[in-house]
Amino acid sequence: MRSRKRGNSVWPLGPDGGPGLSRRRVLAGGIGAGALLALPDLGSGAWPGVSGRAAERYAFVYGTPDPDGVPSGSLVAAMCPPSRAASTPPVPVAVKLAAAPVSSSDHAVTALATVDMVHDGAKITLTLLDATAATVAKQGSVTVTGVPRDAHVLVTPVFAPGSAIVSLVLAVTVPVGKHMVRKGHPHTGDPVTRLATTWRSHHALAYFDQRSEAMTGPFHLSDEPSLALSTAAANSSDLLLWTTREPQPDDPAAIRAQASLSRLSVFPLGSGKARLSTPVPAPWPGGEPVATLPTGDIARLVRGRHVQVCSARTGEVTELEIPALRHGRAKPSAVTMQARPDGTVFMTKPGAGVAVLADAADSFRTKTHIQFPVPASPLGAPWSKAVLSPAGETMYVLGPAATGGLCAYHVGSGKLAASYSEGRQYHGLYRLPSGALLAVRPENPRLAFFSADLSPLGTADTNLHVSAIY
Amino acid sequence: MTGYDTAGRIQDTYVSAHREFHANPSFWIRYFNPSPAADLFHHDALAESRGAWDSGGPYVGCISAPRQSRLSGSAAEGHADAQAFAAALLTAYHAVRPLLLPSNGQLYCWLDQEYSTSLSSSYWNAWANYIADYDFAGLGIYPLYPCLYCAPYSPYPNCSTIAKSRGVDRPAAIWSSTPEPCGSLTRPPRWNAAKCATVPTRLWQFGEQNVCNFSPNVDLDVGAPGFVAANYCFRLKYRP
Repeated sequence: MRSRKRGNSVWPLGPDGGPGLSRRRVLAGGIGAGALLALPDLGSGAWPGVSGRAAERYAFVYGTPDPDGVPSGSLVAAMCPPSRAASTPPVPVAVKLAAAPVSSSDHAVTALATVDMVHDGAKITLTLLDATAATVAKQGSVTVTGVPRDAHVLVTPVFAPGSAIVSLVLAVTVPVGKHMVRKGHPHTGDPVTRLATTWRSHHALAYFDQRSEAMTGPFHLSDEPSLALSTAAANSSDLLLWTTREPQPDDPAAIRAQASLSRLSVFPLGSGKARLSTPVPAPWPGGEPVATLPTGDIARLVRGRHVQVCSARTGEVTELEIPALRHGRAKPSAVTMQARPDGTVFMTKPGAGVAVLADAADSFRTKTHIQFPVPASPLGAPWSKAVLSPAGETMYVLGPAATGGLCAYHVGSGKLAASYSEGRQYHGLYRLPSGALLAVRPENPRLAFFSADLSPLGTADTNLHVSAIY
Repeated sequence: MTGYDTAGRIQDTYVSAHREFHANPSFWIRYFNPSPAADLFHHDALAESRGAWDSGGPYVGCISAPRQSRLSGSAAEGHADAQAFAAALLTAYHAVRPLLLPSNGQLYCWLDQEYSTSLSSSYWNAWANYIADYDFAGLGIYPLYPCLYCAPYSPYPNCSTIAKSRGVDRPAAIWSSTPEPCGSLTRPPRWNAAKCATVPTRLWQFGEQNVCNFSPNVDLDVGAPGFVAANYCFRLKYRP
């Protein structure tokens, strides 16, 4: 395993897994915002039959520093403390990230993207962190040339299960015009004259081969003007990319026609040329959960209640409703979807108080669904409010809004099996590779570890307001 | 002036809401891309607009609730989310002929920051700047005003983030989700919305369905004294 320092971007830990990073060596991208911490996953004995290497993994904590010393997201590496009395402080890993991290499906590797404006364009650096030691495992860069300094480059890393290729979807948004405009002051209504900017976006692709550590690209796609938001997923051979044409104000008829359409393009991994590009049913891409199925097809959870299964071979989309997710409330809910090794798919909709285990091989037939009281802040970050045990027989979920804490449900019966509350509200819940649970709360100690039977294992402080755990 | 916000279809909601509150809302606020449940208005803006008209509240306000972890993120993320929001507003505008911009030229565009979400300066400034600079429908006018829905007293960064914004990046208004004393459409509580130090709170979600056990899929909102929220929403000139 190599650990290369790149500019001022990533702090690798020491070879013994200790905090080899100094504060000055924190990863700091150019155009980004965000923070990431690494936290060792304690977990020894937290889950029967899971120990050793898996138990020593770090958890990466993504969020906003408090106080807000950097303008965007950061990352720390955190580990469950060895005892309830001891506290293991998370280790800073990165600041000013260009986008939220992405983990491989087995959570062994976490990808970070940073963007630095250099003399000839925007330099995008992909850093792959090894979760076992929280070190920089691989790193590669690509420069998008000719990009002005005030451009926005949105980077989305995409892991391909069964392949060493990591795709990078780049949304490049550049200013195309500046002009003086008059606009009423929001409070007085008095006209104010100022300089406004017009923007145009297109997408580009790059690929990082984890074996050779070679980066290829960028391959610019001819999709301008496009909305920068996209959705991407990959199987062992292809990258599937959903995009939307940006509505052009001079063509209302086209706007009406495109309201219900997106475009799906399928690229062989490593290629900048789509082997398939076709209109597909909306909704527009951007933030919806996606999962790669064992067949290589991609499932997209849309509208909080429908699964669109997209054939990677033909691009054909089959839409299926998940009846248990049909129920809506006044406030929209976060939704999550996770493909499991046994071919089932776990979906949650905490705002409606429901989770579903569906059989992907059987038209997403609901195998079981569990109802639970709606937790506090069902739409707020982190979006992970319910998780399954490794074998899938127990579901853990944040406790009801009224009482807080955590609850465990028996998946087979849907009945409450255990609960824990000391009156605290948690806002996010994750299962670590060891089987331990990591719950996130607003005030320090913001990270609380629990065993599979909901016994407290320990806590850790962090200066991050936590948005997600990887 | 009280109204509703909802993630449900207006046409499926207003009858049950009227049955519970025995009055017409002054306005509706609906979710637009990128957001969960944004698909409803996006794909059938005509039916939703008819529902709003039939409800007696022919004004539709706009909120976007991107994936909340993105709000901690970068300028590129904020810019992309704002771009999609503006595009969704334009799509709705062209889908419904009598859906017009506010006569005062100010369409409030709310970013949904939930209680447990952190807002970064990079994200907010880029989001707000794009919204404020958007040449709507190529008309050479700039009617979109960035605003923030949040819980001002949440321990997560919200007011402190926007306090650092300047010029057009500063929100035109706060829509406070706290406190939640409940009440009804015709008898809202006395104005007591939580506030940020630097931006006025102009809308208050005083009754949330989950907390107040409302049967219909609506939350209740009221404008600040002297503030008419409907004037900052899309307006329907006639029944579409």
